[in-house]
Amino acid sequence: MKPTEVPTFRPRLKVLNREQILAIHNAALEILEKTGVKMEHPGALGTLVSAGCKVSDQGWVRIPAKLVEDALSSAPRQIDLYDQKGNKTMPLVNGNYFYGTGSDATFTVDVETGERRRSTLKDAANFAKLVDGLENMDFAMSMSNPADAPIEDIYVHVFAEMVKNTNKPIVFIADSGRDIAKIYQIACQVVGGEEALQKKPFILNYSEAISPLRFPENVMDRLIFCAEKRIPICLPSGSNAGGGAPVTLAGAMALGIAENLVGLVVHQLVGKGSPFLFGPNVSTLDMKSTIVSYGCPEWSLTQAALADMRDELYGLPIWAYAGASDAKVMDAQAGAEAMFSIVTAMLSRANLIHDVGFLEYGSTSSLEMVTMANELIAMSRFFTDGITVNEETLALEAIERIATGAPGSIFLMDDHTFEHFMQAQFLPKLLDRFRYDSWEESGSSDLYKHCNIEAKRILSEHQVEPKSTEVLKGIEQILQPH
Amino acid sequence: MSDFKALSEAVNKGDTKTALVEAQKALDAGSSAEEILNKGLITAMNEVGDKFSKGLLFVPQMLRSAKTMQECTKLLQPFFQEGDVLSKGKVLIGTVKGDLHDIGKNLVSMMLEGAGFTITDMGVDVSPEKFVEKTREVKPDIIALSALLSTTMPAMAQTIEALQKAGLRDKAKVMIGGAPVTEKYAQQINADSYASDAGSAVNKAKALLGIS
Repeated sequence: MKPTEVPTFRPRLKVLNREQILAIHNAALEILEKTGVKMEHPGALGTLVSAGCKVSDQGWVRIPAKLVEDALSSAPRQIDLYDQKGNKTMPLVNGNYFYGTGSDATFTVDVETGERRRSTLKDAANFAKLVDGLENMDFAMSMSNPADAPIEDIYVHVFAEMVKNTNKPIVFIADSGRDIAKIYQIACQVVGGEEALQKKPFILNYSEAISPLRFPENVMDRLIFCAEKRIPICLPSGSNAGGGAPVTLAGAMALGIAENLVGLVVHQLVGKGSPFLFGPNVSTLDMKSTIVSYGCPEWSLTQAALADMRDELYGLPIWAYAGASDAKVMDAQAGAEAMFSIVTAMLSRANLIHDVGFLEYGSTSSLEMVTMANELIAMSRFFTDGITVNEETLALEAIERIATGAPGSIFLMDDHTFEHFMQAQFLPKLLDRFRYDSWEESGSSDLYKHCNIEAKRILSEHQVEPKSTEVLKGIEQILQPH
Repeated sequence: MSDFKALSEAVNKGDTKTALVEAQKALDAGSSAEEILNKGLITAMNEVGDKFSKGLLFVPQMLRSAKTMQECTKLLQPFFQEGDVLSKGKVLIGTVKGDLHDIGKNLVSMMLEGAGFTITDMGVDVSPEKFVEKTREVKPDIIALSALLSTTMPAMAQTIEALQKAGLRDKAKVMIGGAPVTEKYAQQINADSYASDAGSAVNKAKALLGIS
């Protein structure tokens, strides 16, 4: 018999057709050409003007489509992020997807007491360590806006904590050109210099413009710094439907894309060929509470749409979110919202997916939530990998063996099952599938409890390969106030 | 004497056109502008505020009502008499230095105005010096400071210090708000009050001035 070789279809979500894609893109270009943007960075403004942008009497900078096209064609199609030991762990290209935590939560759910409290530097350390120990978390963000760090250097301190507690890639925040330079110094310390960092970057900067269409000076300082040093950066704005942007998703996307394109144009003019991760954040402003929702279907839908636009038009790797919730505690709502965004982000092949583990619309971080998401990502990955069809998986021989075998033949006893079950099935670690009695005997615990125990176990048992004393000393020096 | 039922209904619905007609009718029927404002418009807006805080209204509906009230107040403007009690209090509001975010601040302004406060909005990126200067000029009952970024929160403390130095700190109450702001931070920097959102900003402002 000839072996059956069949290519595997991997489920892929599409939400826009070509006409919709072009209409949104053209609207973004029209915003840039007709309305223009407020560029509050004199250097960036000068760069745009020299490149042919016109400035209105009121200071609105109008950007021609030609500049956008140039920037789109000069930005690299692939961004490779490395871990801190120099392994290429995150090739951001095509349909590759990677998950990680989020930044700057004001509060944290204390893993010991379950209480929501102000987050600290120790929390940034704990989250980094947890990420280091979870197989489906690919990169770390701070998850903490610590109350106990000096505010002028808050991002330098959280960066140092992350570096000390994980060797995975880091997506970091900075305030201005001043502190980003310090963070850059630390990153150089870790890998042994500027050249090594440029060759194998383990950091990516997250910065935000202000919707609608405002580009503050300190934000552009960071963008220019990254463009010059070739540090990968993304620059989404808060073009949330009903908040910074129109309430209708098409308009909010057009605005957010326009804002991203402005960042890209300046970035490529300053550092042609420097890596730029594309993608606005288009969630919704809740019409009752005015929070920006982290559990809504709209955000998942707009980033699925952006993935379609990447495939059809932009070709650049994209930024996304998942695994977060508006719920205040890790309850059923948190599970439902986290799973919805995790599986749709994966099915639409967003590339760098952050914010995993947030509760309370991004204001509170939870170690348990990250731990749960780690399992939900595994579950989604199983689904997204599709069904492998070949001679082995069709298992006709096993079927014949069992059906026609001696009385008492069962698949569970067959070699085929023994050889394949680890790959053929999704084997949950935290989701409960015990029979009722055993579940009751083991304490009737829910998923939150399982995740709490697992998070604590990882924090106490997981060993992060430590940085050398030399590197640690260097970091301490950079942290000293001058 | 009127119960302003139709006017109140129009404000509740955010139906500006009908509200203006009803306000004019009330004036024509002999009601005073002050009475129309206080018994008609502000009472209606209190109802709107109540419904909003109970989750029965969405923000755009509430803002439409506030806008309706503003338009009616404009209509009444020429008819106010000296000595009329027209405002719950004066609020000076702005986003602090270094911060350019204004959605939250604008929302708080609209809500306070709807509740009967008089607003002076200084916009975004307002330095402590500018707050001091404007406080001297406007003599507000409340100074409201907004910040979205944790890195601009210290500018709230600096603004309060500047008011202190200028001898103005005890002339007005200071309330603060914004995503990274907490009750504890308000206490730390010697603010009088903290509000977590626009709806509670109104209640906090009223509480600060001891009015209902």
